[in-house]
Amino acid sequence: MKISFNWLKKFIDLDIDPYKTADILTFSGVETTVLSDSKPAWTKIVSAKILEAQKHPNADKLWLCKVSDGSEVYQIVCGAPNVREGMIVALAKIGATLPGGFEIKKAKIRSIESEGMMCSKKELGLALESDGIMELDPKTKLGQPLEIILDKVEDAVLEFEITPNRGDCLSHLGIARELAAKLKKNLTLPPIKTSNALLGHNVKIESDKCQRYIGVIIKDIEVKPSPEWLADALEKCGVRPINNIVDITNYVMLSLGQPMHAFDLAKLDGQEIIVRNAKTGEKILALDSKEYELDESMLVICDKKAPVAIAGIMGGEVSGVTNNTKAILLESAIFDASSIRKTSKKLKLSSDSSYRYERGVDWGITETASWFAINLITAIAGGSIVNKTDIATKKFKPTEIVLRFERVKKVLGYTIEENEIAKILRFLGCDLLPRKEVVLCKVPSWRNDISAEIDLIEELARINGYENIPQVNLDYDLSIGTDSYFCPLLKKIRMHLFGLGFCEALNYSFLESADVEKFGLKSYYKISNPVSKENELLRPSLLPALYKNLLTNIGQGAASVSLFECGKIFTKNGEKESAAGIMYGDVWGDWWKWENADCDTKYNFYFLGAVVKNFLPNNEFCISNNLSPQSFFHPGQTASIVYRGKSIGQFGTLNPMITQELKNDVFYFEIDVEAIGDLRLDNVLFKPFAKFPPVKRDLSFVASKSVPFEKIEQVIKSVKKEDGLIEDYRLFSVYSNDEKIGAQNIAYSLSITYRDLDKTLTDVCVNENMQKLIDKLNKKLSITLRV
Amino acid sequence: MKIDINEIINSAAGEIAAATLQTLPELKLKYLGKDGEITKILKTLKILKPDERKELGQKANEAKKIIEQALENKEKELSQKAIQEKTASQKVDISPIFYFPVNSGHFHIITKTIEDISQIFISLGFKIAKGPEIETDWYNFQALNHPEDHPARDVQDTFYLQGSKDLLRTHTSPVQVHVMQNQKPPVRVIVPGRVFRNEASDASHSSTFHQIEGLFVNQNVTFVDLKSTLASFVKKFFGQNISLRFRPSFFPFTEPSAEVDVQCFFCGGKGCGVCKQSGWIEILGCGMVHPNVFKAVEYDSENYTGFAFGMGVERIAMLKYGIDDIRLFYENDLRFLRQF
Repeated sequence: MKISFNWLKKFIDLDIDPYKTADILTFSGVETTVLSDSKPAWTKIVSAKILEAQKHPNADKLWLCKVSDGSEVYQIVCGAPNVREGMIVALAKIGATLPGGFEIKKAKIRSIESEGMMCSKKELGLALESDGIMELDPKTKLGQPLEIILDKVEDAVLEFEITPNRGDCLSHLGIARELAAKLKKNLTLPPIKTSNALLGHNVKIESDKCQRYIGVIIKDIEVKPSPEWLADALEKCGVRPINNIVDITNYVMLSLGQPMHAFDLAKLDGQEIIVRNAKTGEKILALDSKEYELDESMLVICDKKAPVAIAGIMGGEVSGVTNNTKAILLESAIFDASSIRKTSKKLKLSSDSSYRYERGVDWGITETASWFAINLITAIAGGSIVNKTDIATKKFKPTEIVLRFERVKKVLGYTIEENEIAKILRFLGCDLLPRKEVVLCKVPSWRNDISAEIDLIEELARINGYENIPQVNLDYDLSIGTDSYFCPLLKKIRMHLFGLGFCEALNYSFLESADVEKFGLKSYYKISNPVSKENELLRPSLLPALYKNLLTNIGQGAASVSLFECGKIFTKNGEKESAAGIMYGDVWGDWWKWENADCDTKYNFYFLGAVVKNFLPNNEFCISNNLSPQSFFHPGQTASIVYRGKSIGQFGTLNPMITQELKNDVFYFEIDVEAIGDLRLDNVLFKPFAKFPPVKRDLSFVASKSVPFEKIEQVIKSVKKEDGLIEDYRLFSVYSNDEKIGAQNIAYSLSITYRDLDKTLTDVCVNENMQKLIDKLNKKLSITLRV
Repeated sequence: MKIDINEIINSAAGEIAAATLQTLPELKLKYLGKDGEITKILKTLKILKPDERKELGQKANEAKKIIEQALENKEKELSQKAIQEKTASQKVDISPIFYFPVNSGHFHIITKTIEDISQIFISLGFKIAKGPEIETDWYNFQALNHPEDHPARDVQDTFYLQGSKDLLRTHTSPVQVHVMQNQKPPVRVIVPGRVFRNEASDASHSSTFHQIEGLFVNQNVTFVDLKSTLASFVKKFFGQNISLRFRPSFFPFTEPSAEVDVQCFFCGGKGCGVCKQSGWIEILGCGMVHPNVFKAVEYDSENYTGFAFGMGVERIAMLKYGIDDIRLFYENDLRFLRQF
């Protein structure tokens, strides 16, 4: 719902700005935003009178006017068709600014000087279209700033959303009440005059779905467009002005939350209202010009013959107020919330009125609203009351709740002083009867959501402010430590290896000297009092024991072994968390249904590399040539794992000197977990991907063997970065043939995927990009296309 | 020229009914193709008189639709039938599944047990703390109220390192000391980790094994909290119906101290081989943190109290999973590893 800040201020004296107001509301449970802060978008525009209007001597369609702002007379050239002498207009003098920052300067129009401009609503940003300049009320004082005349002073539109239990907030009064409780300020209700109206007998209630119906007959009214302030007020709240009567019913609803409806009395057969359940098959043409078929579950307002409104939802077109209406029956009623909800759903028809009825309308406001509307109608549309019928089928009984002070503390865990509790409840509109340690609380009629002690406690916490809930340190949150035995990366690696069929091993922390020497390792910690030789020294690597495990399992007949271990190793830099894996033999065992029996299913260096590559979490990690390989690796088959430029692990084929006792090669990796221990893996940002189709191109070229593939990749990456068209590339073949391409050369084949984020790629575009890549490769690395 | 369109429709219907997936495209050409019979009629329309043209055109277009529909229906029918026939012949024998050579991995039962136990204590508000395996005498003994000549130190057969006074921790308790030195109460941690005893290995002894230590220090932490916390752990780990009992015991760094027995989860307390007919199994030691430990870490023992407990992971895993030799954990025989 939208409300106007100035309108709101009629109900409560606010010395805060709209933004602060929205903030307060939001933090008391009504989520509010400032939709538009309609500070006037102009400056120095004042009311002025056209003293004289003559045709421009040099132009047919222009006027030459003398305009007075009360102190001076200006000569203004104007092209509006509606210019006439005596008209009160909005004058932008020299130096004034219009919306958009447009400044008024002295100008010559068809060789006659113009000292300003008379503005249209469109030019002032007050309307989307306008024909002619804006005409102000003839009674307007001259020389007044336009914003004051239009009541535009720093008004703002606030938009808020209520939770479904807070129907009472759906009006300016409701929002003012929230603010009043929060700011501990009193409300100001509009002055409403009541009078002794003649008792009418024009309404009958024949359904228990209507609890109260006030029908007032007013005659001799003049239906016409609403005055500016009224139309303007409604427009700010997103309600389209129609005519003064309809606008007043909407104005009252937006003010007080009571939906109202006015019927054209002349169109009511028998000049009476019957509230009853509809008959199955009954039809009504509603104000939206659609016909609705009704059934017995629906409540309707009828005249003597037929339905004239779907109760609480929408009036009928036939009985609606038109420009010819002379007398009306004004409805202010309470209908059953659930009945309105069901009907609205069934008919797929909702309105501002049904929105409020569904959420419950204040029992206490129905009559006030009726009088408020009567006051406004008689003041704006003239007329007088004929009579007033007021029928209630139920009596409102306020909810009474006993609130225990001690319970407040018990539930909230902090203390709100007793007198503060009383204050908050009073400002919320409760009647209080204090007793010892408890208070008896009579809930106001508009708060149908409060029915038990806990509801009051919520109100107390809410109005006292959730920001005042004290925060204590939870003892278990403070402790040093983590929530997992393994760090995030290690957890990932473990899950990964688990999925690949690795088994986790645990080995003693001790080794014999011979174990260490076999792998060319050095031990840094020796035990001075070992009970046996097995406990001679502390392991400097996980390898010796894992290798032993391998032998044990091969000895037991295993054709394939893949193990990993996580644990401390003891190096020259002290003890360190380490993780390692070892693999041997068949990746896939034998299976009689393999279709391609000759595929190589043994572990190899690339399988190992893929295992490692896949568990590295992000592109801060890379695999590069191993510059200082450990001696237990095959010197030509090893690589290094680099994290932020630092080697944190190595992998490779174990040196055949060590594994010659075995039939197959052994593959091994070990990484330093501590170097990456507290790396977070969850700081990932989603990257949107293109919807447009990719273009794939294969590229084969010949390079010198002395150029490492890494260099080629660098060039591709640089082109990728420049244009952003290369989405991906993949090396799919490496080829050497002394005769065909030369002994010193090697041929690579790449599959490159091109894709544009914003459009479908054309061949031309891809070709250009590819040529660029080829040229660059040629220039930087003397690489040529393979023909 | 007299053309009987109905005849064309009938002949098309007959041919389509007898068609196969291979012959359908030919039929489409024959009737609806560029020189198809219907197309031919449509082409002749322009030479007819307007009223004839209208009638024949309408008929021809209807016929076109009918034949198109018939072709489409037939194609759908035939292709569905083809798939059905194919799938009917593709029944697999499910037994090779069990011999398919892709196996899942296995986590070691000790790390799994550590993680299971840790998870329970994390849910009770504990954090995991870790500490070094190489320790000094002060952290491992003195700070934990084992003075140098204390008889309790005889029990601990300790590995000492060459060239220094450092040793391999004999329990995870020194991490209590590290944590308390690094922060003020409240402290609520568990410490899983490796510990070392200088003993010859046999079925029930191992030079390397794992412990989980627990420590909770705050104002007003009591023996009741200790028992309640451990009772909660026992129920979550061993089962809702398993109860525990405290037996007075002695540890230098706690006072009062207790050994905790749980009801034998094999026999439910009736008495069996595992519990040696007692109905109870000892699983951990615990107690209220000794004021001397607080003194060592400069905590005010008047203001703070705390409890500590420790359990052997291997022992608990052996009990829970019925493993009879502690050495099995460290042999890493796949026939063992793959059971968990």
